Amino acid sequence: MKLKAEFRDRDEMIIYLREVFAEAAARSPEVAETRGGRCAAEAALERIRPERYASSRNYLKGAVTRLAAYLRHGVLSLEEVRLEALRRGGPKAEKLVTELAWRDYWQRVYRRIGAGIWKDRESYKTGWRTSDYATELPTEVIEGQTGLACMDAFAAELRRTGYLHNHSRMWMAAWIVHFLRVRWQAGAAWFLEHLLDGDPASNNLSWQWVASTFSTKPYYFNRDNLEQFTDGLYCRQCRHYRSGCPFEGTYEDLQARLFPRMPEAR
Amino acid sequence: MSKVMVWVHGDSLRPGSAALAKHPEARRVFVFDDRVIEGYRLSLKRIVFIYESLLEIEGIEIRRGDVAAELAEAARESGVTRIVTTESVAPGFARISERLRRDYRLELEVLTEEPFAGIGKAESERMDLKRFSRFWQPIKSRALNLNRSLW
Repeated sequence: MKLKAEFRDRDEMIIYLREVFAEAAARSPEVAETRGGRCAAEAALERIRPERYASSRNYLKGAVTRLAAYLRHGVLSLEEVRLEALRRGGPKAEKLVTELAWRDYWQRVYRRIGAGIWKDRESYKTGWRTSDYATELPTEVIEGQTGLACMDAFAAELRRTGYLHNHSRMWMAAWIVHFLRVRWQAGAAWFLEHLLDGDPASNNLSWQWVASTFSTKPYYFNRDNLEQFTDGLYCRQCRHYRSGCPFEGTYEDLQARLFPRMPEAR
Repeated sequence: MSKVMVWVHGDSLRPGSAALAKHPEARRVFVFDDRVIEGYRLSLKRIVFIYESLLEIEGIEIRRGDVAAELAEAARESGVTRIVTTESVAPGFARISERLRRDYRLELEVLTEEPFAGIGKAESERMDLKRFSRFWQPIKSRALNLNRSLW
């Protein structure tokens, strides 16, 4: 079936796509502000600041590049971004180039394992068996109705913008897999529905890295960490700040609570 | 009229992709894969992003359905028997490529993009990919152009 390829403007295109892809629109009707296309991609590439990226990338307000969606769909090639990063940053582009290398690495793993990308690469190192993890995401997680200001805000942002900062993705993945004890596959599939940069390789293998099925230990975080890198934005407005925050505690506390069967935790 | 048709897919939406650069005059076709859209339950915003990217590829023809069947139909319309595309590592790409060749008897040429830090497929096959660090250590200086000062 042939589709229309000429429109007066973006709005006309969106109206048309809502009709033609009615099932997708019924599932989630939001349209992101992020623009597709080579022009927008080049403008984003023009804005990268490799040196500031290196020092601030873990902060939600840090100088991240927002190139992922363009890289994922090949609107920009990884190699052209690597060369541009080095041209601008020289040796100070090391951190950014390393992150590009992660994407390249995931792609090479994907080439090798194909659909195996959906299977646990290794067993969990958490002390739990795969069968100890739930297979479905709780509805309130998807709908952003858990009462945790941070996670509910991330869920809403994911749905509205098709983007999450890398650190938010890691927190959310760690929360889903380790705190809620849900299989990483459920979270990975949910992210792929929404992320404009959703790519089975980077996405699933990063979830596996957090889960510990593609790393030597689970990734998890505590409130101090989230509070620091978000500048306290969510904690300040969270009704669980004084009591009931599941992320409160030292890493030792959390490890004992989350992974009581993990050999090192005993 | 060019004797080839370019298959543009969602892993290679650059107007200057390997296939489009080699055949700037050829008919170029993209097909939204119903199987992918439903299989991944893609949200509308993802489709909008891809669509918007496609519209910057001059002369793009956009279709929807079964990718191999749609491409074969477009090729038949143009009287073309050879399709050129840019490589993707996705298993779906291999599946569709195989169908184009086997079921539709089309010749398929797959071009590769300039690889990251010059690490081609042959080298990649020999690499230890168990962990990122094992992949990264041997290529790090190359990727960062650290040996450039020696020249």
